[in-house]
Amino acid sequence: MKTTKLHCLLSLLVAFSMVLAACAPQQATETPTQAPAAGTDEPAATAAPAEEPAAPATTRHGGWLDEIVVSVVDGDSAISQIQAGAIDFFSFNLASDVYPEIQAAGLSTTQSLGGYYGISLNPAVFTDTSVLNPFSNRKIRESLNWLLDRNYLNQEIYAGGSLPRLLPITTELVEYTNLIDTARALESKYAYNPERAKAVIDAEMPAMGAELGPDGKWQFNGAPVTLIFLIRSDGDGTRQPMGDYVSNQLESVGFTVDRQYKTASEAFPIWQGTVAADGQWHLYTAGYGVSGLGSLRDESGNIQQSYLNTSIQASEPFISNVSDPEFQKLGDDLAQGNYDSKEERDAMMARALELSLEDSLFVWLIDQKTYAPYANNVQVTFDLATGPESTNVGPYNLRFKDREGGTLRIGTNDLFTEPWNPVAGSNWIWDAHVMRATTMGTSNIGGGGGLMADPYTGLAYPQRIASAELVYKEGLPINQNLDWLTVTAVPQVDVPADAWIDWDATEQRFITVGEKYPDGLTANVKSVVVYPDDLFETVKWHDGSPISVGDFVMNFIQGFDPAKPESALYDESLALSINAGLVAFKGYRITSTDPLTIESYTDAYLSDAELNIAPLWPQSAFGLTGENSWQMLAVGNLAEAAGEVTYSEDKAALLEVEQMSWVGGPSLEVLAKYLDQAAAESYIPFAPTMSQYVTKEEADLRYANLKKWYEDHGHFWVGTGPYYLDQVFTTEKSLVLKNFADFPDLADRWAQFSEPKKATTLLDGPGQVKSGEEAVFDVTINFKDQPYLLSDIARVKYILYDATGAVVSVGDATPVADGEYQVTLSAEETAKLPTGSARLEVAVVPIPVAIPSFTSFDFVAVP
Amino acid sequence: MTIAVQPASENSVAPKVSARASTFLRVSRYVVVRVLTLFVTVVIGIYLTIVIANMGGFVDTIMKGEIRDRVTQTIINNPSYQSMEPEVRQQLIQDTIAAEEERRGLNVPIAVRNVRYLSNALTLNLGRAHNMTSDSGSKQVRLILLERLPATLLLMGISQLFLFFSSILLALNLSRHYGNFWDKLVVTLSPTSAVPPWFYGIFLILIFAALLKVLPFGGMVDSPPPSNPLDYSLSLLKHLALPTLSLVLSSFFLSIYNYRTFFLIYSSEDYVDMAKAKGLPSRDVERKYILRPTLPNIITNFALLIISLWTGATITETVFLWPGLGRTLFQAIGLYDIPIIVGSTIIYAYLLAMTVFLLDFMYSLVDPRVKVGG
Repeated sequence: MKTTKLHCLLSLLVAFSMVLAACAPQQATETPTQAPAAGTDEPAATAAPAEEPAAPATTRHGGWLDEIVVSVVDGDSAISQIQAGAIDFFSFNLASDVYPEIQAAGLSTTQSLGGYYGISLNPAVFTDTSVLNPFSNRKIRESLNWLLDRNYLNQEIYAGGSLPRLLPITTELVEYTNLIDTARALESKYAYNPERAKAVIDAEMPAMGAELGPDGKWQFNGAPVTLIFLIRSDGDGTRQPMGDYVSNQLESVGFTVDRQYKTASEAFPIWQGTVAADGQWHLYTAGYGVSGLGSLRDESGNIQQSYLNTSIQASEPFISNVSDPEFQKLGDDLAQGNYDSKEERDAMMARALELSLEDSLFVWLIDQKTYAPYANNVQVTFDLATGPESTNVGPYNLRFKDREGGTLRIGTNDLFTEPWNPVAGSNWIWDAHVMRATTMGTSNIGGGGGLMADPYTGLAYPQRIASAELVYKEGLPINQNLDWLTVTAVPQVDVPADAWIDWDATEQRFITVGEKYPDGLTANVKSVVVYPDDLFETVKWHDGSPISVGDFVMNFIQGFDPAKPESALYDESLALSINAGLVAFKGYRITSTDPLTIESYTDAYLSDAELNIAPLWPQSAFGLTGENSWQMLAVGNLAEAAGEVTYSEDKAALLEVEQMSWVGGPSLEVLAKYLDQAAAESYIPFAPTMSQYVTKEEADLRYANLKKWYEDHGHFWVGTGPYYLDQVFTTEKSLVLKNFADFPDLADRWAQFSEPKKATTLLDGPGQVKSGEEAVFDVTINFKDQPYLLSDIARVKYILYDATGAVVSVGDATPVADGEYQVTLSAEETAKLPTGSARLEVAVVPIPVAIPSFTSFDFVAVP
Repeated sequence: MTIAVQPASENSVAPKVSARASTFLRVSRYVVVRVLTLFVTVVIGIYLTIVIANMGGFVDTIMKGEIRDRVTQTIINNPSYQSMEPEVRQQLIQDTIAAEEERRGLNVPIAVRNVRYLSNALTLNLGRAHNMTSDSGSKQVRLILLERLPATLLLMGISQLFLFFSSILLALNLSRHYGNFWDKLVVTLSPTSAVPPWFYGIFLILIFAALLKVLPFGGMVDSPPPSNPLDYSLSLLKHLALPTLSLVLSSFFLSIYNYRTFFLIYSSEDYVDMAKAKGLPSRDVERKYILRPTLPNIITNFALLIISLWTGATITETVFLWPGLGRTLFQAIGLYDIPIIVGSTIIYAYLLAMTVFLLDFMYSLVDPRVKVGG
């Protein structure tokens, strides 16, 4: 009887499970758009993106969607919510350990670099001489590179969804691609080899006075050599298992490890807050985030920043590191741009990479990939470095694949974390993501907006400029990549005497170069931007007002005035960054208002010519997202001058008032009051200057439009982008964006960036190569089964390894036809191969995307 | 007669006046002593909260480290600073750090700040938050707490009041039918309250949101919130269902079990047996002989329940992304936002002190055996 009941119960359970399984959502069979690279051993682009329907020609202006609803969603439930149809896209990056879950759910996903992890080592000789710090010895630090298996970490902790990292540059990104042969050779040299690590440690420790005890543990002064390891237990939770693995490896070579699990707030004061020589720690699980792809194109500053006592971080453990003099000079020279050509710079970088591993103040472990899941019927464009929320072109290309229009629901991590104002307001990534949809310009490109950042290379294309010219001082290492600008090198860049270089807050007028520098002034670079003839007719603010010269000039002024103590807008916190920026700034000059033509002069420059173009735009002068119409700044300035609300939190705390928000809270009432006042007075701000560009009629129209906007939408967030902010719900943490039909461009303007053009590479050749004889291998490069155009390939490098993994030779493959290259190993090269297995690897460096494609071919070398 | 009566009358009034004066003095003395005692307790409690929230001053070190890290990383990652001269950039970093430390008041000695926090808290001058901002953009602790109060009152009010009244009614019913199936079921299921509400919450989300797709995963209303008040209310109710259910489920059986045991104990008192022996109707026995003596305890529980609404349900609100005070406090603790922690605590402390004070008087009203100050 009891058995029968048990059977019944089991049967019921099985039946119930079947019902539940039947209720589960069907898994889509479509493959994710992006497949992660499993490691450096596997080509990043071997999995081609899923087939996308070609974007049809459209007559639609603005964005592809009618409406975007953004709300706050718990990341833990993001995948379930997409499956349940509650949201279409979770835009905040998730750690790579969720990648298997996204795959299992059959969803599409972005894949971008989320940050990087490594072990920071204490390089100091401890004050207490009875305690030994093995990591004061560079060779022991270097040996950790052999002791730690990065591929194992990637597979075990990051589910194979990240990339092993050895070097102080981002794996498989622009700089890495640039130095591909050096990078691959070093990866081969420092491949996992615990025996080699042990041999180095066994040789070095006795030299430092330590001896191996009978229990196999290192002893110093009769006590075990104990390493204090600060292991972070917070964040995405991956640093704890990483720390445990490193501890295990250290224990396997005779060290005793004191594992101290701590949160950031507990560990950070010990790591960077104590004197390294005090010996309160030996190792720390460090992690860093990344900014946009544009800033990762040149990582030469990383050497100084991550290793040297001259590091920008100016804190422990950097200041205690005594580096090799050659490494120190290389790092400092690279950071300061002390080189004359790209070739010289690349040679310096290659040598610095070698020396960085010999120094190993940091032992880098993982370049973490992050994922933002979305439904399969959605198209998402994302920055390869930082993901969808930092992608300027993202809102332009976001759409349903199968139709125009519709309402797309986005979930993110938070909203309205701080008050929104583009002068000193929220800069949180989820807030900026929304703001970006409302703007035309981009804030993360040197010089300002008006350009569109290429999310796959970090370069930029003109969005709202007709032509551009860059003039730079001869000898500066500046390279032109694209042909939409003209680039000229000259012996000296003179700044005209009538250029504006500063601001007189009392007289409310610009100070010219001639007044401030009567003896003349020179700059490193000059950028000349000519805006379209019809700029003022075609570009409109969301409230209907046409853009005008006044918007540009007002934003120039706003970039100076808060730093002047005599100004009512003076703000000490803003003054710090304004004054710091003025050190390199050399002047603006409006040479024409029809068409608008603006010159800008500066000593600051980036190595890519395109990123030195300064297409000034009415947007934040302080690197925030969001645009500033002159009338909105005028209203905000009136409120700040009256001391009722302030742009920055610092000033708000000082005056004990609220920080200004243009979208919600107590600020709105204050701003509405000053809008009425400005409208009543036909107020033109900074009148001595601005009245040259703004008429009373324009002022009246602007204020009337803004007032109407506020009445209709209940906020003051007005931009020129493809979407406008329709509704804001601060307590409910959601908002609605709507398509801006008056946007000048069609929705397919940036269709070229719909997806990254990652190459798929195949390598084929003889399975057996006779030493001393020439051998030819064929390289096939495709994108979506179509040959990759030769014009889209920068170069194809090959690297020849012997059986031990040592690099035998490096060279360039020869182009044959679209999608076809050939590697020819000369007789001299094959003669260097010892008998046995050998490997040929090719690295394809495409132009449209910063991620190279790798593949390899194994063969046997015979005598 | 009159003369004879007069002294008698005077003699009878004098003791009454004397008794009243004595009662007044007793109550006044009690009130003064009680208020002072409670105030000192509140002061000590708040000061301890401040010291604990500051981790004895270690939070300063943490905050300085965070400021340095954040400022450095922000400047390093900002492209506009990348080509700046290293010395200029370094000076900018140091100046920004110094300004931020000053803004946070870290240049003032910790002891001075603690006293300042205490005096501000006691005068309900809640000040400005360090890190957190209200949803509408305000840094004022008062506004941050007030903004979240309605959501918490709604969630906690519905769940806790439902739990309270349903528990008492069901417990009373079970106590009448001691040992029957339902009584045994409640006793059996009472250990389920060992599971915290957020745990139930996760399961409820999986079942009703992910699997059945009939209720939302979290939040307070749909996105975007409906503009029609009726639709808004319906949306609110829909979002309220799962967090309320998880809060109720996690305490339901144990709460019934507690009250049921409580009523059973009172039911076995001698005077109850005597009343039953006298043949009083069972309803009268229940009302006058069981419920009446338990009233002070029930009132105490109810009063404490009402003020506990203020604290919110920290983790449950977080699981359901419910914008309540519990979640705010959870975030504040994570961010070491001392003004918010202190602000939330002082209000709870004052509410608790007032409740305890008022309960003393309530007891004397519902139970004649209790005398204030007696």
